[in-house]
This record gives sequence, C-alpha cells and structure tokens, in this order.
Amino acid sequence: MVIYMGPMGLYQSNNSILEKLNPITKLLYIITVIALSIIIPAPQMNLACLLASVTLLIIGRVFWRLIPFIGINITVLISIIVIQGLFMAGNKTLWFQIGSLRFYQEGLCYALNLCLRVFNILCAFAILLLTTKPSDLIESLVEKGLSPKLGYLLCAVLLIIPQLVAAMERVMDSQRSRGLETEGNMAVRIKAYLPLIVPVVLSSLINIKEQSMALEVRGFSSDLKKIFLNQQFSPFYEILIQIGLLTTITLALLRRLFLWLS
Amino acid sequence: MAKLVVENLKYRYPLAKNLALNNLSFEVKNGEFIGMIGPNHAGKSTLCQALVGLVPQFFRGAYGGRVMVDDMEASKVPLSKLASKIGIVFQNPFSQISGVKLTVYEEVAFSLENNGFSRSEMIDRIDWALKLLNIEHYQDRNPLSLSGGQMQRLAIASIIALKPEIIVLDEPTSQLDPQGSEEVFKAVGNLCTQGLTVIIAEHKMERICKYAQKILFLHQGHLVTFDTPYQVFSHFNLEGYGINAPVFTNACKKLEVKLNNGFYPIKLDEAYRKIGAYYEHR
Amino acid sequence: MGNKKMTFRGFNTPSLVLIPAAVGINYIGKYFATVLKLPLWLDSIGTVLASILAGPIVGALSGAINNIISGLTVDPVAFIYAITSIAIGLTTGILANKDYFSSFQKAFGAGIIVAVVAAIVSTPINIWFWNGQTGNIWGDALYAFLVAHQHPVWLASFLDEIVVDLPDKIITVIFSYIIFKSLPQKLTYLFSPNNKIETL
Repeated sequence: MVIYMGPMGLYQSNNSILEKLNPITKLLYIITVIALSIIIPAPQMNLACLLASVTLLIIGRVFWRLIPFIGINITVLISIIVIQGLFMAGNKTLWFQIGSLRFYQEGLCYALNLCLRVFNILCAFAILLLTTKPSDLIESLVEKGLSPKLGYLLCAVLLIIPQLVAAMERVMDSQRSRGLETEGNMAVRIKAYLPLIVPVVLSSLINIKEQSMALEVRGFSSDLKKIFLNQQFSPFYEILIQIGLLTTITLALLRRLFLWLS
Repeated sequence: MAKLVVENLKYRYPLAKNLALNNLSFEVKNGEFIGMIGPNHAGKSTLCQALVGLVPQFFRGAYGGRVMVDDMEASKVPLSKLASKIGIVFQNPFSQISGVKLTVYEEVAFSLENNGFSRSEMIDRIDWALKLLNIEHYQDRNPLSLSGGQMQRLAIASIIALKPEIIVLDEPTSQLDPQGSEEVFKAVGNLCTQGLTVIIAEHKMERICKYAQKILFLHQGHLVTFDTPYQVFSHFNLEGYGINAPVFTNACKKLEVKLNNGFYPIKLDEAYRKIGAYYEHR
Repeated sequence: MGNKKMTFRGFNTPSLVLIPAAVGINYIGKYFATVLKLPLWLDSIGTVLASILAGPIVGALSGAINNIISGLTVDPVAFIYAITSIAIGLTTGILANKDYFSSFQKAFGAGIIVAVVAAIVSTPINIWFWNGQTGNIWGDALYAFLVAHQHPVWLASFLDEIVVDLPDKIITVIFSYIIFKSLPQKLTYLFSPNNKIETL
C-alpha cells in the first residue's frame, strides 16, 4: 500500500478548537504523553493518556479519521499478538486454544500492553497531524529557533511529492505505450523498474542547478533573520496550557526520582 | 553615470579547458533595453550569471577582470545583497519556483521573507510586483497550477519584488509556447518603461529587433560587437555565426532595400513599408 | 590535513536542494516497487544517491528528513526508524568517500555492508517497539520459528530483519550505482566542496 504524502498530509480544515491551537502546544502534548509512558510505564498510565487523547480527538471532531492512521500498523500489531501469544519465552499459563494453536496468558498480556502503548502514541500524534497544516507546524518551529534551512527542506519535501506523482504517471503511460512490460514474472518486473524510475530521477537531479541558483538570488543564503508573512499567535490561555504540560512532565520526573532515591 | 560596467571579464568553469568568457568589456547605461545574442555555447548564460555574481560565487572556477554594479563588485558582494541592485530570471519557470509555498502571493513573499523585510513592507511590495506583471488575479492560485507564461511572470515578480534597478533574463521564453512568450515579452517591455534596465538573452531575432535599443553580440566567449540593432543587422554576416536575422530583414537584404538612414529594415512595419514602396517603384 | 579536506564534503545550496529531491526519489522508488509488485521496499534509493553525490552528512539528513516527513504525514512510527535511515545515509556516504562506487563489484560489497548496518541498527528498535518483529511475512515466520525453538529474541529479531534487508539493500545500492554512473560530470561537481576561485 502506498499512501499519498501530500502537502496537506492528513490534515483537513474543519475549524475546530484543536485546529486553532498553536502547533507548538500540540507538539508539547505529544512530548508529554511519550515522556509519561516512559517515566511511568504502567498500563494504567497508558490507558489514562489514551483516554485523554481520544476525548480531545472527539472534541476536535476528527475521531473517525483516526482509522486509516491506525490501519497502517494493524498487520504488524496482529502479527505481534499471534506470535507473542503462541511463542513468547515466558509463556506458562494456557489461556485458550484454537485447533492445535495454544495461546498463553503471559504472551497475550505482553502483546496487548504493547498494543496499548502503540495506540497511545499514535493517538497523541493524531491530535497534531489531523488538525495541523504541515507548513504551519514547520513555520512555527522555525520561529521558535529551528534552522530556516531545515524548515525549507521539510516544506520542500511536502510539496515535491505531488509533483513527482504527476511526473510518475506521465512516465508510466509513455513507457507502457513504448511497449515496456510491467506485468509477468519477477525478472520481467525487475527489468521494468529502472526504465520507470530513471527519467523522473534524472530530471529532478538535473533541475537542481537552476533551482539552487534561483534560491541564491532570492536571498536563501542570507544571514538576516527571516520574517514570515503568516504569523503564528500564542494567546495567553495557550501559554498556560503549555506551562501545564511542562509541569506535568516535571512532576512525573520528580516522583520517579523520589521513588528511586527512597 | 553608467550603472553596469564590465571590464576585461574572463571566466573558465571548473574542469573546463577553454574560457567561457574571454576578455569582455562594455558599459550599460541606466534604463537601456539590451538584447544579448549569439549561437549556442557563445557564453550568453555564463555572462548573465556573471552579471549577477553567480559566476564566480556559485560556480567557482577561474575568474579575471570585474563586473561593477554601481559601487558593488559582483564577484565579491554577497549574492543576496546584489539582488537589491540586479536580478536574474532563468530559462525554466518550473525550477525557479521556491517549492515551499502554496500560493502565488506567498511565492513572491519568499524572496522578501529571506531578506528580512517587515510584514507591511512585504505586502506593499508583493501587491506592487503582482500588478506590474499583471498576475494579481492569480494571487491565491497554487504556483504549479499556472501556465508556463504565467509561471515565468511569477518568477519575474519574485525578483522584481526586491526592487533591483537592473534585470537580467536568460532566454526566459525558450521553454514557453508562443502565447506564453508573448506575455513574457510584453511584461518585460513594461518593466523597461518603468525605468528598469533590461538585459535579455534571446534567440528569436524578431523580438530582439522589436524591443532592444542595443545588442550585445557574443561568439565563442568573445564580444563580437556591442551596438545598435541597425548596425548589427546591416553590417554583420550573421549567418556566418549561425544566427538567423529576421526573415523580412533578409528579404530586404536580397532586394537591396534600405531605409533612408542607410540601414536595412529590422522591424516588420519598416520592412513592409519599404518592400511595398520597392514593388510600387518597379 | 590535506587528506581530511579531500574527504570532508561540506554543505552548499545544491547539496541542500538535493535533499528534497532525494526524499522524492525514495518515494518514487517505493511507489514503483509497489506498482510492479516487487517483494522489496526499494525506499532508500534517494538517500543512497544523495550520500554518493554529496557525502555522509547530506545522506544522513536525507534519511532523517525522509522519515520525519513520513512520520508527519503518514505514519508516526516512521519517526523512530529515522535512526535506521540516518545510518544508511552515513554508511553509504563514508563508503563513497572510500571509493566504493568506482566499480560494480565494489558497489555490490557496499550493498552488503549497508544491509548489515541497517539490520544492526533496526534490531534494537524492533525489539523495543514491536518486541523484535518487522511485520514482514517471511521475516516474522522465521522469527516465530526461532522463538518457538527457544532462541533468544535478539537473534530471532536480527535474522527477521536481515532476511528482508539483505536483498533489498543490495538491489537498492546497485540501482543507485547504475543511476549515479549515468549522471553528467557537470552535475556531479556541483555537490563537491567549494574550491577557491582561481584568478585569471
């Protein structure tokens, strides 16, 4: 399955409260969730964070768009549940049996706990990705001190993919009309691979010279501080949310440190 | 009060054996429209790049002589600083799009963002540049959805927004269809009437004759001549250099039809009038 | 001293513009592998090409940005595998500086080295995140067999990864080598370090 990596990513505008939040706040939320699940690795913690994220996703009216997001990782998750349930090293207590397949409690618990952790992280990311225009996220990171050149690279990648998809379709049509075989046994298909990718690869590499010159004369390498046309605002309540998230991480760390010392 | 002065300019690309530019010297005055002509590999692109400092700053290689834009030496002043005096537009409109902006408006802003202009100054300049290039009604479109001619005008607007006094165009219409080429030439003519100095490399002589006040004629890295179009097209055997003069100029040469000032006609209306008169006389 | 200057390849604008192109090429590679139903990923041809053209740092950045963008737009799990992509970029770039892309045989060797490095780096991530599995049918079958026969998870996981990586990375590197050889010199020197300007 190839998923479209477009300039808008998974974002669709719906004017929700989450969409109006500064991307930095949402990023901070992800960091908080990941930090908590590492500092306090109990399943209860993961479950609490997961519930919080799901609530936010419902408030942001993007809950159903979570499905394709989780769908990508579903095969590996199922494979983990099956294999760990059957074969994990510490398996002792038989839970149930399907034909000759014996599923053990230890392996299944372990796998389900792992799935919970993955879901937790995915949902935290979903809040950011489903409600934020990727270029807004990148610009606000540049305003917070990310190197503008790195910001340029990230934005450029987001926009280059749809162009390439269009170019690829053209190449595919013209190569097929010249009689290139794209179906048949493996040798035929491997042979078809290079004639398909080389034209797009060469043209994108050959464009680099003029692209670089055009960037240079438009002040790309200038040392001046960049000012963006579109400004990101952080209203007062949002700064409070950010402080709240940072405090949560600090408290969790302190608790862990305290337990470790005593 | 010459604005652009080139003195004994020499250049050789890295890994190359021959000089791409061989001892060029000339001066361009304020507000002139200069056409740059010559066969392939005459050094047109290299000269365009040398005028804005890309040669040698971007390409490196071996360099001699100098290019002065007012008091700035093109080989030494940072490119972004030079850009406020002299701008350049390249052949392929597609490769000049920044690739990071979703609208025409933001695309023009990219040049200004890099150079640290305030938001209000940016907005003033973007509006001005879009209007000058006559693309203000496309401002919310995705740059990649524009036609070739529109995209090339966007590339020009993005350079003009930095308010240079000289603009260099390196065969800006070579990858465009006839309609797109015409749009771009009209826009460039418009820039010249606004007081900008225009230097344009071009292989369609009809267009050069229509707009240019002077012609820079290059061949194998040498400057053959720098003179008015009438002088160049009347006194040089252009076919010998692999350049095709306008069809009607060649027709007038065959018929020995000259203008009153002793030159062959280089513009369509002149040729039309003279050839008409010639046949009437016969 | 002089030697160091020869091998260190710095950052100029073309190298920077190469990075989005590299990520795009990774994407094209993966797309056509899927269209042709090849049992390989072939999703790092761009990273490998960028490393050969502009050195380990640019290659590593291409790999990192590739995964950051997939993480942002498609699948957050891609973020953690940025480490593998960085390792592929660094390894290829270092091998390129050691002249591994001068002949077909050497490029084949480079492919094996890149595959082993990629598997070594991915294994701990697989263990941490998926308890060692990869989600690939053949690899996971091998993993299940080994775990069922009391082999340690790290070994099962490493073998799970390398049976997929070995053919994939060798073919990726060979294809990149073929493309690299067809590029004009006028293009390849753009990415080399900025030499001094000679005076005429």
